[in-house]
Amino acid sequence: MSLVNVAHICSHLQNASKARLGLTSVPSTNLHLSLLLALQQSGFLSSVTRGGLTPPQIEDLSSYVPDPVTQSNVATRRLWLGLKYWNNEPVLSEMKMISKPTRRIWMDVEGLGKIVRGSKAGYVQGLTKPGECLYVSTDKGIMESRDCVERKIGGMLLCRVL
Amino acid sequence: MGLIDKKPPKPPASELFRPYSDEEKALLAKKYTPEQIRAIEAGEGAIRPEELDQQGVIRTDIGSLSYLDDFRHYRSVIDKKPPDNTPVDPNARFMTEDELATSFSEYYDKLKKENPPPPVSRAMREGDPEEFDPTRLNFWRADLESPRYMGTNGPIPSGPNLFAPAIPKKISIDGNKMVAENGTVMEEDSQSVVDPRDPDGIYDRLRKQTGLTLDDIFGLESKVVVQHQVTNQTRLGRVRSMYCLAIAGNKNGLLGIGQAKGQEAGNTMALAKVNAIRNMKPIPRYEERTIYGDVEAKVSAVKVKLMARPPGFGVRCQYLIFEMARAAGIHDLAARVPRSRNKMNTVKATYSALMKQRIPDEVARGRGKKLVDVRKVYYAGLV
Repeated sequence: MSLVNVAHICSHLQNASKARLGLTSVPSTNLHLSLLLALQQSGFLSSVTRGGLTPPQIEDLSSYVPDPVTQSNVATRRLWLGLKYWNNEPVLSEMKMISKPTRRIWMDVEGLGKIVRGSKAGYVQGLTKPGECLYVSTDKGIMESRDCVERKIGGMLLCRVL
Repeated sequence: MGLIDKKPPKPPASELFRPYSDEEKALLAKKYTPEQIRAIEAGEGAIRPEELDQQGVIRTDIGSLSYLDDFRHYRSVIDKKPPDNTPVDPNARFMTEDELATSFSEYYDKLKKENPPPPVSRAMREGDPEEFDPTRLNFWRADLESPRYMGTNGPIPSGPNLFAPAIPKKISIDGNKMVAENGTVMEEDSQSVVDPRDPDGIYDRLRKQTGLTLDDIFGLESKVVVQHQVTNQTRLGRVRSMYCLAIAGNKNGLLGIGQAKGQEAGNTMALAKVNAIRNMKPIPRYEERTIYGDVEAKVSAVKVKLMARPPGFGVRCQYLIFEMARAAGIHDLAARVPRSRNKMNTVKATYSALMKQRIPDEVARGRGKKLVDVRKVYYAGLV
């Protein structure tokens, strides 16, 4: 579970949004996949597709069946992400790590509840900006902090997205 | 002793908000398809009358009306004329004189039968006992409403009449109205009439450009918040001038900032105010009292963080931000200026923070999600 690579994804997505890219790619790992699927669930990304070094055709993105991952091609697999824009502004404009590779932060439901309601818990600031999301890595997978509070699951805080 | 309230008790909610009666249902069935009726009934059934009684509030959002109406009656002055969807008669023609006379007298008789003249007038009658009516309302109605066109199957009834003509919406109290509603300058020019409140004509150009009257301008909240000397080093030596930064707002959602530079203090300040008024723009406000969530903005080395606060919190900010919030009509706000506190850049950063708020509805549409304001929908704005 390398947080260094998650941090790379954070900055890469911010850069791609600022450059107004429609499609971008990140290295494919299970952690990345579940985080990006959680982002797609929240509506930050239009598509998450596993592919090779070249992007899948946009026309058949919906019916695209990725190649099976084998020992020979695993190193070249990438996740192709569709970015969204609304009113001339990127939908995903900021993405920042909370846990760092050298300092991971775990939080229980009580703390997460405080954060979701907009107040500070520990050293973590609350979600006070409209539409701000926080992703938590739990033993039930990566999910949004509001889902965590609803299901009463704590976990490691990954990143906040705006 | 008047301590006991003798008002009759409020009827129970189930009486206040009754379900549709059979007659009403029959009327609805004329207008709507069975599917639509089922949808209406499902909608009515989804909300219990007790909840509607306790939590129902009158709409105040953008789509709401500025007056109370449940659309049961057509009001010719306020409401739009309902479209006439009846097929056009190809043989329609204007009536001949004789036909017009008959049509008028028939319609007049009909009206007289429906609305007989008041009994007082009958007591006063002289001459023709049938024809006397001091109000002559029936006569005028018949004149306006009697049919004038002859169709294939007899006279075509004329549509509803708008009894009251269009009344001007806004009348200037200044006495010298310069700019009409559509922005054209009327024949009277500003130089000929000098208003004692503005003898130097500082606001003349502004009035011509924006169509504001002097009443409007003096009703705005405008203030010079920053002023200092600046110098330009030329080969002739230092040229000193004055810099002013003013804010202007209508205390109800409009805010603008304006800058001016000049030699004389009075003129420069007035010019800065005029620029601020000209730059006024609407700023988004949540519930017309605070901002949408927290916003940050940075201008040069000044960072401003504005924070939304609950009702009754007040504007607890430093004075520059306080003045801006007051001019804009924000009543609950907290702010931090953690780094440099340059006055000019604080004002600019606050303005840019107010302008770049993220509106929750826009965020929801960008993400393709449904969003509900819990405070408004579930708690009727009471928490």
